[in-house]
Amino acid sequence: MRFLVAYLRSPPAMIGLVLLLVVIGMALSADWFYPRDPLSLAGRPLIWPGANPRFLLGTDNSGRDIAAQIFHGARVSLLIGVVATSIAIALGIVIGALAGYHGGWVDDVLMRVTEAFQTLPNFLLLLVFVAVFGSDIVTVTIAIGAVSWPAPARLTRAEFLTLRNREFVQACRTIGMGDGRIIFREILPNALPPVIVYASVIMAVAILLESALAFLRLSDPNVASWGNLIGLGRDVLRVQWYVSAIPGVAILVTVLAVSLVGQGLNDALNPRLRKR
Amino acid sequence: MRVFALAGRRLAASLPTLLIILVGVFLLLQLAPGDTVDALMAQMGGGGDAQVAADLRAFYGLDLSVPAQLGNYLWRLVRLDLGFSSIYGKPVATVILERLPATLLLMASALSFAFFFGLVLGVLAARRVNGWPDTLISTLGLVFYATPSFWFGLMAIVLFAVHLEWLPAGGFEEIGAGYTGLRRVLDIATHLVLPTLTLGLIFLAIYLRIMRASMLEVLNLDFVRTARAKGLDETRVVVKHVLRNAMLPMVTLVGLQAGTMLGGSVVVESVFSLPGLGRLAYESVVQRDLNTLLGIVFVSALLVITVNFIVDLLYARLDPRIGAGG
Amino acid sequence: MNLSRRAMLSTSAALASSVAFPELSFAQEQPRRGGVMTVHFATEQRILNPSLQASTGVYIVGGKIQEPLVDLDAAGNPAPCLAESWESSADGKTITFKLRQGVTWHDGKPFTSADVQFTAMEMWKKILNYGTALQLFLEAVDTPDPHTAVFRYARPMPMNLILRAMPDLGYVSARHIYEGSDIRQNPANTAPMGTGPFRFVQYERGQFIIAERNPNYWRNNLPYLDRVVWRVVGDRSAAAAQMEAGQILFSPYSALAIADFQRLGRDPRFDVTTKGNEGNARTNTLEFNFRNPVLADIRVRRAIAHALDVPFFIENFLGDFAKKGTGPIPSVSTDYYPGPDTPQYAFDRRRANALLDEAGHRRGAGGVRFTLRLHPAPWGEDIALWSTFIQQSLQEVGIRVEVVRLDAAGFLRTVYNDWNFDLATGWHQYRNDPAVSTTVWYRSGQPKGAPWTNQWGWTDAQTDQIIDAAQTELDPAKRKALYGDFVRRVNDQIPLWMPIEQIFVSVFNRRLRNYANNPRWASSSWHDLWLAS
Repeated sequence: MRFLVAYLRSPPAMIGLVLLLVVIGMALSADWFYPRDPLSLAGRPLIWPGANPRFLLGTDNSGRDIAAQIFHGARVSLLIGVVATSIAIALGIVIGALAGYHGGWVDDVLMRVTEAFQTLPNFLLLLVFVAVFGSDIVTVTIAIGAVSWPAPARLTRAEFLTLRNREFVQACRTIGMGDGRIIFREILPNALPPVIVYASVIMAVAILLESALAFLRLSDPNVASWGNLIGLGRDVLRVQWYVSAIPGVAILVTVLAVSLVGQGLNDALNPRLRKR
Repeated sequence: MRVFALAGRRLAASLPTLLIILVGVFLLLQLAPGDTVDALMAQMGGGGDAQVAADLRAFYGLDLSVPAQLGNYLWRLVRLDLGFSSIYGKPVATVILERLPATLLLMASALSFAFFFGLVLGVLAARRVNGWPDTLISTLGLVFYATPSFWFGLMAIVLFAVHLEWLPAGGFEEIGAGYTGLRRVLDIATHLVLPTLTLGLIFLAIYLRIMRASMLEVLNLDFVRTARAKGLDETRVVVKHVLRNAMLPMVTLVGLQAGTMLGGSVVVESVFSLPGLGRLAYESVVQRDLNTLLGIVFVSALLVITVNFIVDLLYARLDPRIGAGG
Repeated sequence: MNLSRRAMLSTSAALASSVAFPELSFAQEQPRRGGVMTVHFATEQRILNPSLQASTGVYIVGGKIQEPLVDLDAAGNPAPCLAESWESSADGKTITFKLRQGVTWHDGKPFTSADVQFTAMEMWKKILNYGTALQLFLEAVDTPDPHTAVFRYARPMPMNLILRAMPDLGYVSARHIYEGSDIRQNPANTAPMGTGPFRFVQYERGQFIIAERNPNYWRNNLPYLDRVVWRVVGDRSAAAAQMEAGQILFSPYSALAIADFQRLGRDPRFDVTTKGNEGNARTNTLEFNFRNPVLADIRVRRAIAHALDVPFFIENFLGDFAKKGTGPIPSVSTDYYPGPDTPQYAFDRRRANALLDEAGHRRGAGGVRFTLRLHPAPWGEDIALWSTFIQQSLQEVGIRVEVVRLDAAGFLRTVYNDWNFDLATGWHQYRNDPAVSTTVWYRSGQPKGAPWTNQWGWTDAQTDQIIDAAQTELDPAKRKALYGDFVRRVNDQIPLWMPIEQIFVSVFNRRLRNYANNPRWASSSWHDLWLAS
C-alpha cells in the first residue's frame, strides 16, 4: 500500500504510466481502428501526412498506411520487449542463482561465460545470431533475450552471495531442505525486487535493439514494426522524412514510458528495500 | 613496472573468456546459411562455375573439416596471426589496423562528450535538486535515453547537413582534398561532430543520471557535512570532496559499457558511412568472412578488457580506500 | 547484322529518356584538360582486377586502369583496343590477334603477347567467371612474336562470340606482376596495374579509391582528366546528398533510391538516364519451387501471375525507368526479342481466384488458401518493393506470403543450393544473347548450387530441345525464330515469370562531357571524358 502511494505521488512515474497505457491502448485497439492488415497496400506510396484524410499520418514508400503501422507496431514492440525481457530475466536468474548459491567451480564457469557475453559487444552478437538463425520475429526476440541476460545474472548472483549465508538459509539447510527448494522458495523471493526493477531497463534496451536491427534491414519484414518503417524511410529521407520521423517518435515515447515506470517502481520500492 | 605486472595478470585472467568468445563465435557461424564463397558469387553476379567455386573453397580453407579449421585458427592465433581476410585480400591484422583509428576516435570523442556533459549536468541537477533545472535536466536525460540513436543520426543529417548545410552528411574526412596538419584535424573534427553526438547521447543520459544520484548520496555523507560546517564555500566542497567520490560509480560504468559502445558504433558508422570497425564487423558477417569477424571480436574483446583495466587503475586513484593511490 | 544492331541502338536511345544526346549541343566545345572525376562506389569489391572477376563493381574501377583486347565503339561494334586487328582461321579453331605496339604498363615495362598468353591461360581460363566457360576449349596461346597472340581452340570458336565477349572478358594483366605468385593473393588484385588511361594511386578501405592520369597513355594526349576518385558510399540517401552537393559527379548502376532518381531527374543540374547502359538490361523474376506440389500445379502458377497488377506496380513504385516485361528476352534485345505476342498473364483477380478454386485450394480460416515463403534477393530497392507488392497482391487472392529475408550468402545458398524456398525473386541480367545469360534459367540438368540457373526442379523436354537447337543454329533468322518458340513455350508453362524489364539508371552531373557515349560506358575506360568548368 505504502508502495502504491509512493508511486502515485511521483509525477514522472505517473506520466510514464499514462504514456505506457496509451501505447498499450494503441496495441489493443489496433484491430478495431485498423482492421486491415497494416502491411497491405492502402494507397499510392508517399502521401504526406494530412494530404489525404484517409491517411492521417500518410503512406510509406510501399503504399502502406503509416498510422496503421504505428498502431500495429505498438503490439510488436511491446511484445518483443516483454518476451525478450522475460527470457533475459529468466536466464539471468537461473544462471545468477546457480552461480551465487553454489559458488566454487560452478560460479567460476558461469561467471566466465557471463564475462564472455559482456565482453562481446551485444549488438555484434545479435548480428551474428540473426545472420545464422534468420530474422523472423521469434528468432529476433529470442536473440535479443539471449544477449541481454548477463546483467540480471550478475545482479541475482550478488544478491545470492549476500543472502546465502544468512541465518534463515542456514536454518533451512540444517533441517535438510533441498537446494532447489532453498534457491527458489527461500532465497529467490528476497533477491527478486532489484532484478525486477532492472527489467524496465532491459525492456527499453530490447525495444531499441529490435529497431536498430530493423534499421539495418535485418528484422522480420512480415510484421509491422516501427524499426522496419524507419529502415524503409531511409531511402526517402531527403524529402519524405516523415516516414522515418513518425515511427522514431513512437519508439521514443514507448521507451520513455517504460523507463519512467521503471524508475518510479525503483523509487517506490527502494525505501522498503533499505529498511529490510 | 607494477602496472605492467598487473596488466599481464589481468590479461592471463581474461584468457578463458577470450577463448570462450572466439570458439563460440566460430562454431555459431558454422551454422549460418552460405559461406564466404557464396557471398563472393553474389558479388560476381553469375558465370561462376562449380570448379571455380570448389577452387575458391579450397583457397579459403573451407574444404577442411570444422574442427581442423578451428584448430588451424587457434594455432595461428597462438602465434599472433589473425589470418587472411577474404573480403579484403589482406592480412586481417592490417585490415583491422586500418579501421581501428576511426572507431577509437569515435568512441573516445563520444565517451568524453558523454562523460563531461554527464558530469556537469549531473552536478547541476543535484545541486538544485527538485528545482526547475533539475527537472529540465532529468527530463532531457530520459528523452535522450529513449531516442533510438540511428534515428537521431538520420534526423540530425536531415537538419544539419541537408537543410542547414552546416556539417557534412557522412564520411571520415574530405576525400582528395589533400588537407594536412591542423586543417586536416579540423576537417576530421567537423565530420565527427554528428556521429559523436549520435553515439554519445544515450551514454550522456546514463552518466548524468548516475552522477546526479551519487552526488545526492555523497552530499549527505558525514564528511561533507563536516566540511560545510567548517565554513568551506560550497563550490570548494563540491569540487574537492564530493566530486571525487561521486565519480566512482560513473567510472565503473564506463568500463561496463565499453562493449555496448562498440556495438552502438556498428549502427552509427553505417548511418554516417564511417570507415570503422563496426561497419567492418557488419560487412564481415554479411560476407561470412570468418577470419575478419573473429579478428574484430578478438580486438574488441581486448579493447574492452583494456578499458576495464584502465578503469580499475583510475578507480584505485580516485578512491582513497583502495590501494595507496589516494 | 549491322542493321539490326543499329536498330537496337535507336530503340534503346528512344527508351533511354527524353533528354537523349544532351552532349550534341556541346559538340563544338573545346575539351578542357584537368579536373577530378568523382564516382559513387556503392559496394566494395574484394578485388579490382577485371581479368579475375567479371562484374560491374570491378569494371567501374578496374576498367579505367586495365584495358581489354577489344572494346566497343559508340555504335556498339567491336573496336580495337590492345589488339589492333584479328582474324580467324577457316576451321574457326585458331584466332590471331595482332597487338598494339608501343604500349607500356604503368610501371614502364612493355606490353607484349606474353602478357596476353599468361592472362588468357592462367586467369580467363582458370579463374574469371564467365571466362572459364568461354575459354573452356582454349588449348594454348602461341606467341610467335611480341605483338602476335594466337589462340588455339579444341573446337571452333565463332569470331562473333569472342568479339562480343572480349570487351568484358578480355582484360589483360601484366605477366611480370603475377607470374610465380599465388594469383588470388597477389597484392595487385587490389592495387591494379595496367595499360589504361589512369593509373592506380591508393585504395583506402571503406572510404575511397584514387587513380591519376597516365602521362604515357598510348592514345596521345589523353586522357583529359587529372584524377578519378571513387567514393565508397553504401547508404543510398547519403549518396544522393553527395550528388547534390557536387561531391559525386556520377552514380552508376541504379545505386540511388528510386525516389531520388525521380527527384534528381527534375533538377536541371543532373541527367538521369539509362543511356550508356544499353548492354545491361535486366528483368525482375518470380521463381517457383516445383518441389512444392502446390506450385508444381500450373494453374497455381498462372493464378499467381494473374494476381499481380504489374502496370500498377511499375507506375506507382518504379517510375519511368521500368516497363512491363513480356518474358525472359527483354524488348531491348532486337536481335532476339520475339515481340509481345507470346502467352501473357494480364491482371485479373477473378481469374486468379477461379484458377485457385479449380486447383482445389479452397479458402480456409481467415480467407487463406495456403501459405508460401517468398525469398527476395537482398540487392536492389526494387526487389524489396516487388516482394512486398507480391505479398500484398497474393493476400488478396487468399495466398498468405511470408517474406524470408536473408543476406546475399544466405539467399544464394538457401534458394539455389538447398532449394529451401517456395517463391524467390531477384534479377535476371540479360547479356545480349539468350545463350549466355538466359537459357540456363530454363534448361534442365544444371549442376546443383549454380546460382541463377534452373534450380526449380522443372524439366521440360520441349524447352530443352529448343534451347539446344538454338545454341548450335548458325542462321540468325532461324535462331531468332527458335528463341521465339522458346519464349512462347516457357511463358506458357511459367516455371518462372519475368514480368518487369529495366535498364540500369545512371545519374550524371551535367558538367561532364563525352559521357554515356558507348553501350557499356560505366565499365569503359573514360579516356575521352572531360569536365566543363
